[in-house]
Amino acid sequence: MNSFLSLIPRFADAILVTLEVSLLAAFIGALGGFVLNALRLRFPRWLAAPYRVYVWLVRGTPYLSQLVIVYFGLPVIGITMTAVQATIVSLAFYSAAYFAEIFRAGWASIPRGHGEAARAFGISRWAAFRSIEMPQAIAFAIPLLANQTILVIKESAVASIITVPELTMTASDIVSSTYTYIAPYAMLIVCYWLLTQCIALAAQWAQVLIAPSRKTS
Amino acid sequence: MNPPDLLARCLGYLPQLLDGAITTLWLSAIAVACGFFAGIFIYMMSASKSRMLATAARVYVSLFRGTPVLAQLLVFYYVPSGLGWAIPGVVAAAVGLSMNTAAYQSQILGAGFRAIPRGQIEAAQTFNLTRRQALWHVEIPQVIALTLPALVSEMIDIVKASAVVSVIAVTDLMRVGQQLSSVSYRPLEVYTLAACFYLAITSLLSLAGRGIERRVARRT
Repeated sequence: MNSFLSLIPRFADAILVTLEVSLLAAFIGALGGFVLNALRLRFPRWLAAPYRVYVWLVRGTPYLSQLVIVYFGLPVIGITMTAVQATIVSLAFYSAAYFAEIFRAGWASIPRGHGEAARAFGISRWAAFRSIEMPQAIAFAIPLLANQTILVIKESAVASIITVPELTMTASDIVSSTYTYIAPYAMLIVCYWLLTQCIALAAQWAQVLIAPSRKTS
Repeated sequence: MNPPDLLARCLGYLPQLLDGAITTLWLSAIAVACGFFAGIFIYMMSASKSRMLATAARVYVSLFRGTPVLAQLLVFYYVPSGLGWAIPGVVAAAVGLSMNTAAYQSQILGAGFRAIPRGQIEAAQTFNLTRRQALWHVEIPQVIALTLPALVSEMIDIVKASAVVSVIAVTDLMRVGQQLSSVSYRPLEVYTLAACFYLAITSLLSLAGRGIERRVARRT
């Protein structure tokens, strides 16, 4: 038990790094995915093909291979980043594809009649997008968005390979310096599990908050 | 960097990358196959009347879905060796990936099992089929047909997740990429080529999945 307690300060620091990196990446990724989906809806003819290629490339390859291309590969053409920057950039680039697909599903869940009704009432395209489609699409998407955020937190473990001092890297450091195995790795599993459960709970709570407005609309 | 040189170098990387891709493929295949049977078992546990079994299944699924594959693999590789019972990286990778996908597959298959009308199981009992016969000849074929799209996407996820086994000394596609890049000092082209291999594998899997799905849809 004592060995567990002595690990807490270092793991507390590491949790903050994991959270900082993955939440920032998820936020940028969600924003990017939202904009991407909005552009795809606005300019279907020009953007349908490039959008599909982007999603195909990102979802068809492991995140680790995207990370090593960004961190080790891009310096070859003069783009150099620190390990943390490379992680956030690649994780945002990676998750934006998944977030865009989630928003696409959100928009697909809206009955066609809503758009037609808005047009019949002379509501502008932007106003319909902002106050009719967006609230419905986001309410639909909340559980999926939370799930994707959890996936981003889990993928961020891979950043330990390029020495970002997050949870996994910290556990491995402690293991190699103290030669104890069970306590640090048990702690590692517990930390990730708690993080992902917290996000899942927060999502349930957010849905309860949003549900009433969904019924009246 | 003139194009003929680049092409020649890439052709030079191909044999080793292909070796790595084969390791990635069989490791993923073992994991998906073992995970399928383990997944059925976990679903059975979660659906059983025993409270304890059901809770154990829930904890298992929550732990494996709530933590990164990389952390799970580190546990499977380093904890036994820390206890003086060293196991090869490939074994740890196969066990870790199988147990990980078992958690996901139990959820996928569970949805399939719940979609089968109860009447069929009752009919199977009326025809004097044992429970095991009913399971393997009545339920599981339908469950597979029902959950095929989700199972294929789980297969693709496992191929992608298997890239982290490079960390525990398995020479999979990713690891070969790392080795080649440290020898050639050309990380951009090597890693891009490795990514192309992954893209080819996952694209073929999803094409095959769609083909089988269409065939199943035509038959039913």
